[in-house]
Amino acid sequence: MKKFFVWLGLVLGLVVTLAGISAQPAQAADNSLARVKEKGTLVMGTSPDYPPYEFLVNRNGKERVVGMDVDIAKKIAKDLGVKLVIKQMSFDSLLVALETNKVDMVVSGMSPTPAREKSVDFSKVYYKGGQSILINKTDKGLYHDKNSFINKAVGAQTGSIQYSLGKKQIKNSTVKGLDKISDLILALKSHKVEGVIMEKPSAQAYVDNDKSLTMINGNFNLGKGENDTAIGFRKGSTSLVNEVNKSVDQIDKQGLTKDYLKDAGSYMKTNTHNTTMWHYAGYFAKGVGYTLLITVISVFFGILLGIIFALMRLSKNKLLHGLGVAYIEFVRGTPLMIQVMFVYFGIGLFINIPALTSGIIAVSLNSAAYVAEIIRGGINSVAKGQTEAARSLGLSNTQTFRSVVFPQALKNIWPALGNEFVSLIKESSIVSIIGVTDLIYQLKAVQTATYKGVAPIIVAMILYFIMTFSLSKVLNHYERSMRHD
Amino acid sequence: MTDMIKIEDLSKKFGDTEVLKGLNGSVSKGQVICVIGPSGGGKSTFLRCLNLLEKPTSGKVTFESNELTALNEGQLNELREKMGMVFQSFNLFANMTVIENVKLAPVKVKNMSDDEANKLALSLLDQVGLQEKADAYPASLSGGQQQRVAIARALAMNPDVMLFDEPTSALDPEMVGEVLKVMQDLANDGMTMVVVTHEMGFAKNVADQVWFMDGGVFAEKGTPDEIFEHPKNERTKDFLAKILEA
Repeated sequence: MKKFFVWLGLVLGLVVTLAGISAQPAQAADNSLARVKEKGTLVMGTSPDYPPYEFLVNRNGKERVVGMDVDIAKKIAKDLGVKLVIKQMSFDSLLVALETNKVDMVVSGMSPTPAREKSVDFSKVYYKGGQSILINKTDKGLYHDKNSFINKAVGAQTGSIQYSLGKKQIKNSTVKGLDKISDLILALKSHKVEGVIMEKPSAQAYVDNDKSLTMINGNFNLGKGENDTAIGFRKGSTSLVNEVNKSVDQIDKQGLTKDYLKDAGSYMKTNTHNTTMWHYAGYFAKGVGYTLLITVISVFFGILLGIIFALMRLSKNKLLHGLGVAYIEFVRGTPLMIQVMFVYFGIGLFINIPALTSGIIAVSLNSAAYVAEIIRGGINSVAKGQTEAARSLGLSNTQTFRSVVFPQALKNIWPALGNEFVSLIKESSIVSIIGVTDLIYQLKAVQTATYKGVAPIIVAMILYFIMTFSLSKVLNHYERSMRHD
Repeated sequence: MTDMIKIEDLSKKFGDTEVLKGLNGSVSKGQVICVIGPSGGGKSTFLRCLNLLEKPTSGKVTFESNELTALNEGQLNELREKMGMVFQSFNLFANMTVIENVKLAPVKVKNMSDDEANKLALSLLDQVGLQEKADAYPASLSGGQQQRVAIARALAMNPDVMLFDEPTSALDPEMVGEVLKVMQDLANDGMTMVVVTHEMGFAKNVADQVWFMDGGVFAEKGTPDEIFEHPKNERTKDFLAKILEA
């Protein structure tokens, strides 16, 4: 028991140290504008599942982020004389990305609420929408405004203003929070929720493109900023905000948002022109490609590091053993999702690691811990006499391990190892939260683009199964070839 | 005559249990020593201390003028090549064919070419009568065949001494003979051997010296004639009486 507490202390100590290292560096003087101009790029973070603000279109098999927000960001970049770079990620991750320098600004239909203003600087308001509630057309007449939803379930995007409006202003309602609008629409159609709260232009976009939906006015009591849309910046970016406000003023004066919305509307029409899954084959292919890339690299490093950590844990050296145990236990004791976010946002504070690389690093490190335990079991399963025989012949420790112990251990653990790799194909999908365009991410993109919920899910499901089943077949083949009896 | 192996005051403890209690002895070149005695008397531990598979708690083991107990791992590996060992449970490498088992050490440790190692392995397998099993995996061989391969494997390093740890104890009775035959041939060729065994017939016929071990000490040493026909020590007499009853 005492040993347990020593271990717990050791692991917690490690975590506290890491947290200390990654704590926010003291706020430097405001060089936000100079910084953007110096690097020549303006990086915009957005969650492109919110037409007409931002969404994906399919142009000759290639996907692009378009929408009113993109047009606004383009104008700002042009006014600043820099190049616009668009980074996609989930709405939830946007503010963290801002805080950790992953993006320079967030343009994602975001409302400048007092709560957000505590940690984010906002530009002037560039658009005033309203809050609507999307419902099934068959339910028309049942619901009139927010008060019709008392005791009912409604949906809203997690972390959004609509989510808190639903929570606070609809009595006894269950507000279901999902990350993606496309998932919310699915929930609505399958009556998991009876309405989805969203901004008026977005709701309008869905109604225009999906005949089974209609919208009603929410009649919410909107507080300061809750009706508005503005651009978010890192706290203390006054110089950049002031410069951007000049562009916003121009947009406002010239009424440019009208043009932008029209522009977005035409994109949405081209999008829904052809919504067969085959038309989006390129999306899925790209997703499969990234999923395989992440899996293959992670399997490779997972095995390599797994062997190292297994040997550390088996080592007689107390320090190596301790480090091995601490690593394995800590990684196995925390969710992969948090590890992915930690690598991308946490370590990303010091070194700028692209999302794909971050995802691969996190998945590899995670897999290494599990592989290490499998390998340790395999090594222990090889009879001691095998080692003794090799040593008695004059083979060194290393030669014995390489020629005698490891091949036999590998044979014993092959099924378990195979299981780990198959699950890696599936678990790697978690990297979609930081915007890596793996199969899950692309699935959401297709859902958003086509306003179809179920068909893309089925396609992705089949694609995952093809990948895992093929891998199983290959692994079985090697398992047979390792039989020596 | 110089001693090939010299054992001085050798002791071994496992935890608080003293298994070997200050052993002394020497083996000269060409000699065959058989170590006999009741189970649990420390015979196997003694043998395993000779090539330091088991680290003695105190005392010295000297092999060809090198004090093994004072060497580091790297130096030990070099000397272990010169001391072939055969185990009760064969311990053939399960992931390799018969010929790969025999070749492994010459190729890895002596950097012998594959061709040369193949020739060597085949001639050794011929010597133990198993050339036709060269490409079989150990799991498909009988116990007696496996043990003969294990002997060939140990011989492949051209050792100066062979250590046998109850080589026939795990075998079905009908297979004991084939293994003992190979060992007898080796002894006739002049190989230095230390054999821990329960085969009294083999000890009588082949050994130059028989060491009777009980309770972690050599209770009596002598020629086969002295030990089997005229034992002096009460414990030796007891042991032999029980063996003969059975």
